Amino acid sequence: MKTFILAGGFATRLWPLTEKRAKPLLPLTGKPLLSHLVEKVPADSPITVSTNAAFAAGFTEWKKQQKRQDISILIEDTAHDDHKLGALGAVAAWLKQEGSDEDILLLTGDNYCGFAINDFLHRYHSGTALLAAHDIGDTKAAGAFGTVILGSDGKTLEAFEEKPQHPRTSLVSTGVSVLPAQVLPLLMDFAKGQPDNVGGIFEELLRKGQKVECFVFRESWFDVGSFEAYMEATKALVGEQLLKEDSATLEKSTCTGSVVLGKNTCITDSKLHNVVVFDDCMIEDCILRDCILDEHCTLRGIDLTGKMLRAGTTLTS
Amino acid sequence: MRYRLLVLLWLITDLLLFVGSYALAYFLRVGFILSSDFPFHQFFYAACVTAPVWLVVLATTRTFALTRSQATVRNGAYIGYTALVGVALFTLVYYFRFETFFSRMLLGMAFVLSASVVWLWHIAYAAMMRRLLRRDPPAFPTLIVGVTRESKRLIEKLNAGKHPLKPVAVLDGRGTSETEIDGVPVRGKLNKLEDILEQEHITHLIQCSDLEQSLNLLSACRQRGCTYLLLPSVLGIVERDERVDTLEGQPVTIVSPKEGWWTWFFR
Repeated sequence: MKTFILAGGFATRLWPLTEKRAKPLLPLTGKPLLSHLVEKVPADSPITVSTNAAFAAGFTEWKKQQKRQDISILIEDTAHDDHKLGALGAVAAWLKQEGSDEDILLLTGDNYCGFAINDFLHRYHSGTALLAAHDIGDTKAAGAFGTVILGSDGKTLEAFEEKPQHPRTSLVSTGVSVLPAQVLPLLMDFAKGQPDNVGGIFEELLRKGQKVECFVFRESWFDVGSFEAYMEATKALVGEQLLKEDSATLEKSTCTGSVVLGKNTCITDSKLHNVVVFDDCMIEDCILRDCILDEHCTLRGIDLTGKMLRAGTTLTS
Repeated sequence: MRYRLLVLLWLITDLLLFVGSYALAYFLRVGFILSSDFPFHQFFYAACVTAPVWLVVLATTRTFALTRSQATVRNGAYIGYTALVGVALFTLVYYFRFETFFSRMLLGMAFVLSASVVWLWHIAYAAMMRRLLRRDPPAFPTLIVGVTRESKRLIEKLNAGKHPLKPVAVLDGRGTSETEIDGVPVRGKLNKLEDILEQEHITHLIQCSDLEQSLNLLSACRQRGCTYLLLPSVLGIVERDERVDTLEGQPVTIVSPKEGWWTWFFR
C-alpha cells in the first residue's frame, strides 16, 4: 500500500499564516500538522506528499527534517489557486505517472486525526474502499463537510453527501481513506470531470455499485481550516497549560488557558491567554487574548484580542 | 520622480503667479506706467520677499497633497486664507523696508488677484498633473482591498476624476465572483497580496473591508513602504461625519452627534 497526502491547497481562510506556508506545514502544538499525520503512517507504506509550486520550498525543507527516508514531494506546477489541478486531479495525475497497481492510503494533509492509522488499516478488507468518519455532534455544522450515512450494519456506507445543504447526520468524512487498486481506474475517470471533488469519489463508487466501508472513531479530529478551528485544536491538544520550546523565555509574565511559545521567542511583562506564538517573536508589555502570531513579530505596549498577525509584524506603541 | 518634478514645477509656477498677480494689481491701480511717486521696483521687491513665505504658508494648508481636490470650496478657502496672509506679510515687508504706506485698494486688488489666479491655476495644473500621473505606468498604482458597494463607488470616482491614485487591482478577503470593477481586475483573495504588491509596484493600499485584517495589511504596507488608507465604513462609520483629532496628543477618530452648523466652534 502506498500513501498519498494531499497538501496542495492555498488555505486562504488562514491568511496571513498561510501567506508563505502551506496549511499542512502550520505548526500545531509545536510541530507541523503534516508531521503529526506522517508519524502515524505505517513504516512500510511509502509516502508521497502532493503540493503546489508556491509552497515547494517549504515542503522540501520539511522533508529534510523527517527521519523517514521514503517520503517524496510531488510538486504540482501551479503557483495560484485558480490554476491548480484539483485535489482528485492531483491523485489521478500521480497514479498516471506512477502506473501503480497498489492500494492507496489517501490522506488530507491539513487534518489532525487523534486515532492510530494502524487501527484504521486493520479494519480494511482487501478490495473494499474504507473511509474514516467522525461524529462532530452538530448536524447543521456537518454541512461544511462530506457527510456519511451508514447502513443498518453500522459500517457499510449507504450514502455519501458532499457538503449537503440539509445534512441528515453529524457523521462526517475526515480525509482518511483507503482506495483499493481495482477502483483506481474509476477514480481516474471521475477526476477528469470533477478534479476538485475528493469526497465525490465515494458517491461515484456507490453509484457504480462498489461497496464502501466506514471506520467510525471517537478520538479527536480537527479540520484546521480557519482561525477558530486552529484555536480550538490548540486548546484541545494543549489543554490549560503552557507549551514552550526550550529556547523560548518568559519573564515577569503570566500565561493562562492554552499558550504555545515557539523557538527563540521572548515574552516580557505580558499577559497571554490562549495564544500561539511562532518562532523568533519578541513580546513586551502586552496583553494578548486568543491570538496567533507568526514568526518574527515584535510587539510592545499593545493589547490585542482575536488576531492573527503576519510574519514580521512590528507593533510598538 | 515624475510626481516630485511636477510638484516642484507647481511650486515654482505658484511663486511666479503670486509675484505676477501683485505686479498686475500695481499696474491696474497705478496705470501701465512706472510711477516715480510709488516706484514699481520697491513694490516688486516686497512682493518677491513675501512670495516664499506665502508659499510656505500655502504648503501648510496641504493644498499640494496628493489626496487634495483643488476644485472644492474647502481648498478655495485655504487658498483665500493664504492670500490674506500674503497681503498682511506684503504690507509688513513694505512698511518695514520703505517706511511708507500706499493705496489700500491696491492691497485689496492684490488679494483678489492672487487668490483667484492661484486657485484657477491650481485647478488647471492639478487636472493636467492627474493625467500625467495616470499615464502607464501609473505613478501611484493602488490596490483596493474588499469588494463592497462603497469600494466600487470609490473605484468609479477615482477613475472618473482621473485621480493620481490609479486602482490597478482588487483583492477580497472572502473571495468574490466578480472579475472586474470599472475595468480594474479582481485578482483573488488576500493570499495573493504579496504577489500583487510586488508585481504591480503598489504604492497605495486602500482597505475597504475585512476589518480583522487591518493589522496585517498595515504590516504589509510598512514592510513594503506603501501608504495605507482606510475607509471609515470599515469601522462602521458611514455617515461621513468623522474627523481625526488628538486627545492630549493621542490620535483619535471622532464622530460627533449631528447638530447645527454653528456648533462647529464648540466641538
